[in-house]
Amino acid sequence: MNRYGTFLLVATLFSLLISGCAPRHTVVLVPDPDGHVGKAEVTTEGGKQLLEKSFGMTTVSSSSTAPSPVSVATPEYIAATFSDVLAIEPSPSEKFILYFNSSTAELVAESRSTIAAIVASIKKRVAVSVSISGHSDASGSTQLNDKLSYNRAQTVSELLIQQGVSPDILVVTSHGKGNQLVPTADGVAEPRNRRVEVIVR
Amino acid sequence: MKTTLLGLFLILLSASLSVASAPQSDAIGRVQTLKGTVSIQRGNNALAVSIGTPVLCSDTIRTGKAAAAGLVMADDSTLSLGPNSELVLKDYVFNPKEGKFSFVTKMAKGTFSYLSGIIGKLAPDSIRMEMPVATIAVRGTKLLVTVEE
Repeated sequence: MNRYGTFLLVATLFSLLISGCAPRHTVVLVPDPDGHVGKAEVTTEGGKQLLEKSFGMTTVSSSSTAPSPVSVATPEYIAATFSDVLAIEPSPSEKFILYFNSSTAELVAESRSTIAAIVASIKKRVAVSVSISGHSDASGSTQLNDKLSYNRAQTVSELLIQQGVSPDILVVTSHGKGNQLVPTADGVAEPRNRRVEVIVR
Repeated sequence: MKTTLLGLFLILLSASLSVASAPQSDAIGRVQTLKGTVSIQRGNNALAVSIGTPVLCSDTIRTGKAAAAGLVMADDSTLSLGPNSELVLKDYVFNPKEGKFSFVTKMAKGTFSYLSGIIGKLAPDSIRMEMPVATIAVRGTKLLVTVEE
């Protein structure tokens, strides 16, 4: 073998070694806890693959090659590969909705008892995070509704703190009229949209 | 006198407003579940992690050999890491009022489980998971991912 031949052999072995060590990814689409199946698209420089069926799986061997055609991940494969990560998944959250009187940050009478239910849930789960998001219906200006939804979220936050909940675990956000429970046209007053959603983790 | 009082009132008001908005700009999620040795790399510091520890933008979360951790983000999405895993929270914006959303992670190595939250419902196009040689765009769902070095 001449020197050129030796060089080619070494170069081939080297590239085999490189590709053999190349990162390899596996992506599996699984149903949500409520059974809904979404979509995911995996992209490399070499192409892309869409996952849209339950337990659809694709693998990636290098950046220059397209992700593999979709196969189906078996329960055995999922158990062998993902048992540790599945065991540590945070448990599903508990969600509460509180309603407010029109144009105020004042709870409707029926929602006052929900505060106690939220406090009970926080204690039972030893919750580490409680998200409080304020919303308004679509009547009135954006500015007014931003302020209103903020005040509603703050009202719930303050009521929980008064009941002994640590402020450190509360995450307060306000959505204005941008995230409706019951979709309506702009300007429509809808009691079910005048709300605060509380998610206890 | 009146002006002084008004000035004092404005100072107090702005102080209370800045305190009120601080938690929103800081923690973007929390460690909800934990097993074994898990650390957060924040700038030059490696921080110990316990249940309830907040995570911030740009944090790198690492799990040890027999370790695992579950994060809950502000939009109620969850991200879990299996053993020997490394995750970078590259960008996270959850501002529904202004319609601003972003959730970009880098899964550097390990095993992961992702369950979408409110951002997945309101702005699925703003979610991207980067891996060493591929990226994932995701629409409101749950994914299991392995990344080998």
